Amino acid sequence: MIKMIGVSKTYSNGCVALSNISIGIDKGDFVFLVGPSGAGKSTFIKMLFREILPDSGQLFVNGHNVLALSNAEVPFFRRTLGIVFQDYRLLPNRTVHENIAFAMEVIEAPHREVQKQVNYVLDLVGLRGKAREYPAQLSGGEQQRVAIARAIVNKPSLVIADEPTGNLDPDTSWEIMKIFSRINRSGTTVLAATHDKAVVDAMKKRVIAIECGRIVRDDVKGAYGYEN
Amino acid sequence: MAMRIRTFEYFIRETFISLRRNGLMSFASISTVALSLLILGLFLVIVLNLNHMISTVESQVQVSIYLQDDLKEKDIRQLGTEISQMPGVTAVNFVDKNEALQKFKKRLGDQQGLLTALGDTNPLPNAFEIKVDKPERVKAVATAASKLKGVEKARFGQEVIEQLFRITRMLRIGGFVLIIFLALAALFIVVNTIRITVFARRKEIGIMKYVGATDWFIRWPFLLEGMLLGFGGSLIAVFFLSQAYSALTNQIYKTLTFLPLIPKYPFLTNVSIVLMIIGTCIGALGSSISLKRFLKV
Repeated sequence: MIKMIGVSKTYSNGCVALSNISIGIDKGDFVFLVGPSGAGKSTFIKMLFREILPDSGQLFVNGHNVLALSNAEVPFFRRTLGIVFQDYRLLPNRTVHENIAFAMEVIEAPHREVQKQVNYVLDLVGLRGKAREYPAQLSGGEQQRVAIARAIVNKPSLVIADEPTGNLDPDTSWEIMKIFSRINRSGTTVLAATHDKAVVDAMKKRVIAIECGRIVRDDVKGAYGYEN
Repeated sequence: MAMRIRTFEYFIRETFISLRRNGLMSFASISTVALSLLILGLFLVIVLNLNHMISTVESQVQVSIYLQDDLKEKDIRQLGTEISQMPGVTAVNFVDKNEALQKFKKRLGDQQGLLTALGDTNPLPNAFEIKVDKPERVKAVATAASKLKGVEKARFGQEVIEQLFRITRMLRIGGFVLIIFLALAALFIVVNTIRITVFARRKEIGIMKYVGATDWFIRWPFLLEGMLLGFGGSLIAVFFLSQAYSALTNQIYKTLTFLPLIPKYPFLTNVSIVLMIIGTCIGALGSSISLKRFLKV
């Protein structure tokens, strides 16, 4: 599903974000990416959806050779991914339903498919009843659930989450993780970068720890491993 | 197919939402485009009309030979024969000074009042109007005729044509500079309007990119918006230009009937189509520039 071979990235200011990373993540895995701020987690995540290109190495995601993609192929590659951000990134002037449908409309999905699929993911995140509300009327946890619904509405095989619970209280974070867990059980690979010790420890999933641009730990049923 | 129509609907809806959201900038863009195109249109109409006049005058391969006032009838007849024997001359017609005055009065139409100031005197000379077989011979015939004894002056369209050419050339150069300047201004303001639109929608654009919308899907609404601004401006320009030209032709036909203006139709329709195409192109070009610079997709 994800294969990185000797991937390195140094920013133009000389800051080394990743150095010689090699890792494989299989289909159906649930993986946490942990590490202190500035360790390279964000760079790692952004490379996966080709927001940032590595300087060297090879990267395969969902069967695409990411570095060999032409600009015209990138959108089609991204359709195989679902991306969730810490700050939700919902459109304030559209309802919950419209926010989710938007992700399908802009890739020109058939109208009937949009209706069906949006209702399906709304049920999955438990927000069917709030479909007509606007993001500002929702709590943080609910907004993140909308963002997750939007990320999975196009049936991606890999969901990438960058600090998905960073702005949420522990109870809400736990609910969000349960949703990711549910998505993962249906066969979707989930990769979440997080600082949330409680969540990581409780989930007992694979944990990859990055420090100073290197992988320092890769445990199959790991714990967060840092003192918060 | 249904899908395509929905996509198109989406583009149209998004385009109008942004036009409304940036009302003031849209208005400014449309006005600037309209002003530039109106001026372009005016120059176009004037230059084309001058060209039309030139060709009208040129097609009249006629030389007027004005005679001195004190000639006897015999001398006049003698001159007529000489002239008719010149190479290239196909017809010689004597115009008596009284006949010439009548003609002139007729041409003035309603404004005969102008002549009352002259009282009983007739300022017009006796003349020969001669036809020549080819336009390029006009000048030679006129020069030769003017050297004959008893001839005061030989005139042909050349002077008028040269005068018209001079005016057209000046208008073309001046107009060209002005139009380039105005087109750049219009382009600049369209670029900025689209930039503001792109900025206002950066969140949506970001999301569209993450979920895998194609670059063209993202670009189209902005491109349409620019084209619509340009087209809207051209419509306003076309409206004012048509009104102005109609008013002008009506006025000219009433008072200066001899001035050969190009008839309104289909001339005005053609000019309008040209302006609308140019307007739409300015809009499309403006948004393309803006998208290239401000929309990193």
